[in-house]
Amino acid sequence: MNLSTPFVIETHALSKTYKNIQALRSLDLKVRQNSIFGFLGPNGAGKTTTIKLMLGLIRSSAGSATVFGMDTVKQSVEIRARVGYLPQEPHFYEYMTARQTLRFVASCFFKGPKKAIEERIDEMLEMVDLTSKADRPIKTFSGGERQRLGIAQAQVNYPDLLILDEPAASLDPLGRRDVLEVMSRLRKYTTIFYSTHILDDVQKVSDTVVILDKGALVAQGPIEELLAGSEGVVYIIHLRGEVETARKQVLAQPWVSGIIDGQHNGEIAWQVSVSDTLSAENQLLKLLVNCPVVVTEFRRKQYELEDVFMQVIEGDQNVRK
Amino acid sequence: MSGNSAFLLVSERGWRRGLGSMLKSELSRWWKTRMWWVQCLIWVGIIDFLLSAVLFSTPDTPPSEEVAVLFLIFAGLFPSVGVVIIMQGVVVGEKKSGTAAWALSKPITRPAFLLSKVIANSLGVLATMVIVPSIVAYILTVIATDTPWNLPRFLAALGVVFLSHFFFLSLTLMLGTFFSGRGPVIGIALALLFLQQNLIGWFPILGTVLPWKLVLPLGEQLDAVAPCLLTGSHNYSPLLIVVIALESLLFILVGLLRFSREEF
Repeated sequence: MNLSTPFVIETHALSKTYKNIQALRSLDLKVRQNSIFGFLGPNGAGKTTTIKLMLGLIRSSAGSATVFGMDTVKQSVEIRARVGYLPQEPHFYEYMTARQTLRFVASCFFKGPKKAIEERIDEMLEMVDLTSKADRPIKTFSGGERQRLGIAQAQVNYPDLLILDEPAASLDPLGRRDVLEVMSRLRKYTTIFYSTHILDDVQKVSDTVVILDKGALVAQGPIEELLAGSEGVVYIIHLRGEVETARKQVLAQPWVSGIIDGQHNGEIAWQVSVSDTLSAENQLLKLLVNCPVVVTEFRRKQYELEDVFMQVIEGDQNVRK
Repeated sequence: MSGNSAFLLVSERGWRRGLGSMLKSELSRWWKTRMWWVQCLIWVGIIDFLLSAVLFSTPDTPPSEEVAVLFLIFAGLFPSVGVVIIMQGVVVGEKKSGTAAWALSKPITRPAFLLSKVIANSLGVLATMVIVPSIVAYILTVIATDTPWNLPRFLAALGVVFLSHFFFLSLTLMLGTFFSGRGPVIGIALALLFLQQNLIGWFPILGTVLPWKLVLPLGEQLDAVAPCLLTGSHNYSPLLIVVIALESLLFILVGLLRFSREEF
């Protein structure tokens, strides 16, 4: 994926108000083709509202959105003909079996040949491990089985865009792993736009992430950029001995921005912010080795998406207070 | 779509997109579940049991005209209650359960979604509440009286009975597009069904716009459309058939307009 890759989803100042509640505020979003786009946010952030607007299930109060360059209001059916969608809480016709449900969904897209459709249905049932339950009525399905059927029905039409609203919410760890594997496999063929609150999953498979809070976009970018954090490059150093001498030496370097002190298992724990990563890599540890201290840990700080998420959401809440 | 070159794409366009799929699904709700035979059993049980009581409980068979009126009362009034009960959840139930949102996330237009329900339920009602109990009733009268009803007249009367049910079917469907709870939908429809006799009593003009006199006589007068058709009388207003048909279509149209603005 590069900058010339076309956008599949574009929203411009997209807003939605329910009576007096602003569910979505002026959202500007661009999703590139063949990306796995993680859509994050706490409950009530506006994730599902955005998805429903893209599918034409609700109307925007202001702004506009296009999917495949088509207007989500005027060309909603044409858009849905190229989309696979898994709702947050999948509900299907209870009188149908899993196989009949997939047949129904397939019939919305394809009229034949029957053999090819049945093969595709079998393939989908196999993919989500529901083959043995294919002819059981859905009313007997557990939450996890419904979720898996939801994933299958979203893909039966070979969608160009797969929209998944909390795809792993009701799945056990193995089921979650399988879903992530399927998503990674589908990246070649389709664009995946999915909302979740399971940050670990996002970090594993997404290449672009958006964080929403209270209906507003608070962070957006490639996952590597977000994981780099807003504090720049930081080194974690645990040490003991004559720490003050070492501190003076380190702070004297022009590429050191500052040191945050802490404690870890009775040792001094520093977080050293640097402005020049190369100089830090070459010189920081050497400086400490020449000081009368014992270094027990030295590593570059790796951010977890959860850290970024909490920083962004808490920062956003502080700004709004 | 990638990877689907082996498939023939659906060719429906415009408002009809998804109608075939939805109709098949709605028909299977009636005919591939136990619904059809349960409904047949209920209405044969109610209508034909009551008719049997009339025909066979006394040594002297009542006059054919009286039997016809009674049969049409049984066939016209009770199934309308059934229609309202069945239809009250058709739209509201899907809105509440989330299946409407799910179905409409596929390439199915809202008119196709709603019209599939009108068509499939109309066929279900026609078959299980009108045709099957009426065939049994016809056989019962032949056994009891040896003089069968005139078949074309009988079929015409059944058409009017179905129109009466269709009025409540389309009304209940329309109400389902306006409300998010089942209470108001079933309440309004049943209130109209049972209060129309009183309303016509208070305001006789309403007799020209309410379906009561399609099937059910008002007091001692034999001027309801279906009994007149069955007995060969001309003491009825054919205009009522047109008015009720137009009202039913209007309900569907209003329902379509309201449903097009629905948010899921």
